[in-house]
Amino acid sequence: MKGTDFNPFAMAQAQFDKVADILALDQGTRDLLRNPLREFHFSIPVKMDDGTTQVFQGFRVQHNDAMGPSKGGIRFHPQETVNTVRALSMWMSWKTAVVNIPLGGGKGGVICDPHNLSMKEQEQICRGWVRQMSKNVGPLNDVPAPDVMTNAQHMLWMLDEFEVINGAKYPGFITGKPVGMGGSLGRTEATGYGVIFTVREALKQMGIKPENTTASVQGFGNVAQYAIQLYTQMGGKVVCVSCWDQKDETSYSYKKNDGIKLEELLKITDKFGGIDKEKAVKMGYEILDAEAWIEQEVDILIPAAIENQIRKDNVDKIKDTVKIIAEGANGPTTPDADKVIEKKGIFVIPDFLANAGGVTCSYFEQVQCNMNYYWEKDEVLSKLDTKMTAAFLAVSDLAKKQNLYMRDAAYVIAVSRVAQACKDRGWV
Amino acid sequence: MNLDKNENGSKKFKQFDRAFFQSSDNFTCIGKGSLGGKANGLAFIKDIIRDNITPEEFPQIEIFVPRLTVICTSYFDAFMNRNPFLKEFINSNYSDERIAVEFQKADLPVEIVGDLRSIIHDIKIPLSIRSSSMLEDKKEEPFAGIYATKMISNNQITVDERFHKLTEAVKYVYASTFFKAAKDYLAATKNSPSDEKMAVIIQEVVGERFNDRFYPVISGVARSFNYYSIGKLKPEQGVVNLALGLGKTIVDGDISWTYSPATPKISPPYANSNDLLKNTQTKFWAVNMGHIPQYDPVNEIEFLSNPDLTDAEEDGTLKFIASTFSVSSNRIVMGIGQEGPRALNFAPILQLNEFGFNNLIRKLLTICSDTFENPVEIEFACTIDIINKKLRFGFLQVRPMVAYSENIEINDDELNSDNVLISSDNVLGNGVIENISDIVFVKHESFDKKYTPQIALEIDSINKELLNRKSPYLLIGYGRWGSSDPWLGIPVEWGQIAGAKVIVETTLPGINVELSQGSHFFHNLTSFKVSYFSIHHESENKIDYNWLNKQKTINEKSFIKHVKLVSPLKIKIDGRTGRGIIVK
Repeated sequence: MKGTDFNPFAMAQAQFDKVADILALDQGTRDLLRNPLREFHFSIPVKMDDGTTQVFQGFRVQHNDAMGPSKGGIRFHPQETVNTVRALSMWMSWKTAVVNIPLGGGKGGVICDPHNLSMKEQEQICRGWVRQMSKNVGPLNDVPAPDVMTNAQHMLWMLDEFEVINGAKYPGFITGKPVGMGGSLGRTEATGYGVIFTVREALKQMGIKPENTTASVQGFGNVAQYAIQLYTQMGGKVVCVSCWDQKDETSYSYKKNDGIKLEELLKITDKFGGIDKEKAVKMGYEILDAEAWIEQEVDILIPAAIENQIRKDNVDKIKDTVKIIAEGANGPTTPDADKVIEKKGIFVIPDFLANAGGVTCSYFEQVQCNMNYYWEKDEVLSKLDTKMTAAFLAVSDLAKKQNLYMRDAAYVIAVSRVAQACKDRGWV
Repeated sequence: MNLDKNENGSKKFKQFDRAFFQSSDNFTCIGKGSLGGKANGLAFIKDIIRDNITPEEFPQIEIFVPRLTVICTSYFDAFMNRNPFLKEFINSNYSDERIAVEFQKADLPVEIVGDLRSIIHDIKIPLSIRSSSMLEDKKEEPFAGIYATKMISNNQITVDERFHKLTEAVKYVYASTFFKAAKDYLAATKNSPSDEKMAVIIQEVVGERFNDRFYPVISGVARSFNYYSIGKLKPEQGVVNLALGLGKTIVDGDISWTYSPATPKISPPYANSNDLLKNTQTKFWAVNMGHIPQYDPVNEIEFLSNPDLTDAEEDGTLKFIASTFSVSSNRIVMGIGQEGPRALNFAPILQLNEFGFNNLIRKLLTICSDTFENPVEIEFACTIDIINKKLRFGFLQVRPMVAYSENIEINDDELNSDNVLISSDNVLGNGVIENISDIVFVKHESFDKKYTPQIALEIDSINKELLNRKSPYLLIGYGRWGSSDPWLGIPVEWGQIAGAKVIVETTLPGINVELSQGSHFFHNLTSFKVSYFSIHHESENKIDYNWLNKQKTINEKSFIKHVKLVSPLKIKIDGRTGRGIIVK
């Protein structure tokens, strides 16, 4: 996927500046919120399986914790940069604020490629990350979670290391743990389902039934898979998905005009969300280039892979049929592309609203861990639906009332909440 | 009017909105697929009431269909498909309780949990979670009373608790699709479990809160055709059962007040005031709004209480429905103006025609029958605003009954012939039956009221055998069939006797109760054209047990015997006169 020279933090700051102007924030608040409160950069030495020692670069950025402990995932990605982590931590602050949960924003990462690491090596990275950060994370100040190429197993290693260091049980230190080990039912599905809860509400407002719509999805990881599942269950038809092909080191789009079948594609998908191209052809899928997903004549586009995917150079490929863009990924749309989308009149459900289901469920997980009492799935998902729907309606109501673009309306709500928390604490 | 047709719920009702209890839409649906029989009936009656009854016609009555939303059958399919572990339990012989427990472990479809949460988020009124299956309420095969209805108090402090209770109730109703009674019923009606799909109605309960009890002052079932018409009354004049509290009293076949809408002032034929006092309702059902004695999500009556008349007196709900036994004059005096035992004979409502109640019943029966072009049965529940003297009439259900057309005549000679095994002039049904060679009867010599639950189990096992062999049979027993009170009769569920084509109930000294009138049970009997003989032990009509005992025994248990005849019985019933004979 394109965009390695792209600076997501600059984009996040530009988005913030625009909202700060709308809110007429004072300079002190602007200065505080357009940069992280704290940053940690550190090295993680790992004894590799071949006997050599390799040092991995790790990060943790705590953007703001005025509303509660910092919250955000830990990414394992070969193209990880501190600017990406900074941007993502800022977006986490807005995300927790827009769904109105008592958490701040943070993000972590390690520059590594899990495709080329054994499980033992990955375990060492996890434990090393916690050893470096143990004094500055924890259930009361910063709560990590899984993110790109990390999962429940990674979280469990990190929890174990944290508990060893601190000599007690702290299930609320980290979220995204396996069910039965402090994890919450529904967490796996939460982000993808959350995206579709907001799509459902948007369609309701437009007077369109889900069963009369089609969608194209970028990505086939956890978020995309569960978004496709729920959207299809609601009667919608996904005609195209794209995903990264590790072998060819490029992305492909997989198209079927009568609708992709999630179950059959999952059977030929690896744990990173990569679809087996040859097997897909045999199943009757048309294999198209990486960008084909954006060019489909559909009603809904769901970018659910990584940041910087709808840009100035490809935004014009979006067909006039598209009515909704629901951003399952973080920062998939660049500000210049965003202007084009706004002009086209497409209804955008911005990333930090659309994909807030994950962090919302992480919050539920923390609550359950703190009680040491775990809810049934019905309860988790019903609460998730209620939270996501309420957040969507608050944003869309404001957008209508003040004639704002949806992204701006979401920012206005989120930034004003965080700014108010900083003011209330007497920071600014 | 065809209510059997599967209609897409979303076309008939508006889609559910999360501001449900604040919106003006009283009828909504969640999802797609069928609304089920019950919900279709309610959709129908809503229009009928609007088109046929003006507020001026009944100025003291407010008629309404309680607010409801229906989870359409598409989500039942989704529930079953997404919880594949349930398959092990639905196709086997696990107990109802075990099936219900397993269903509680399953997850509801993610698409509906947010909607369900929104229903209980802002309201704390009791809700009725009712089955509305696709096969239920079909004219030819009425699945009435086969599936569960669970009422929940919905008054817990937290949203989470209320949500839990609602989801537990929905899962319980889903589970009831696979309870034994339902499976037996499906077998009897030659339907397979795969034919059935369940929609679920979530509806506000009609009633008012009094102390820890929530209930309607009057609940009732009215039928436009009376298969038990007595004296000068004609079957076409219909029959009404009234009870204090929730309608469970009537549908379970417990004691209620029975009258003809043509002659509302005439009491049932009780021998004297004492007899009337003994045979009127003394307990009633209410939603328990107080402490629930036991957490039991797989119990249909988890949130119900069964208080007695003294509680109702304390609640002030007897004014329009009770009379008083005057010890000094040894008679029943209308109202509760004086001290003494209360008798629920609904005299103020019926004798004085307060509110124009009976006029409304007659009108509803007429317009519903006309629209269905068939006799109908309706269920309702009412509250009374004593201060403003207004009655709120909640319409709960309408369904068609089966009428008979064949003309049979039975003369006195036939009735008293030596060749008759059983004769009665109180018979339900019509026509000639000539294909019954199996007889199952409760043994006269070993019958004892205290063993009626065991008798029910014995009948169940033989019923199953005969169902498997597709052999219709004659069933003979004592007391009120299907009574929920085992001291009044044999407490069978319909599924346990579903293979019987002809049923005989007879009284005995010491078990001298009004014969079976269980509403759902009764409806099933008549709709399946099961003939029903009632015989009082003091009447001239007798059962020839000597002959029965001489027949070839196939199976003998502690309390019942199954005999097989060489040639089939000839059974004749005249539906107009209520006469019937079973010829040896």
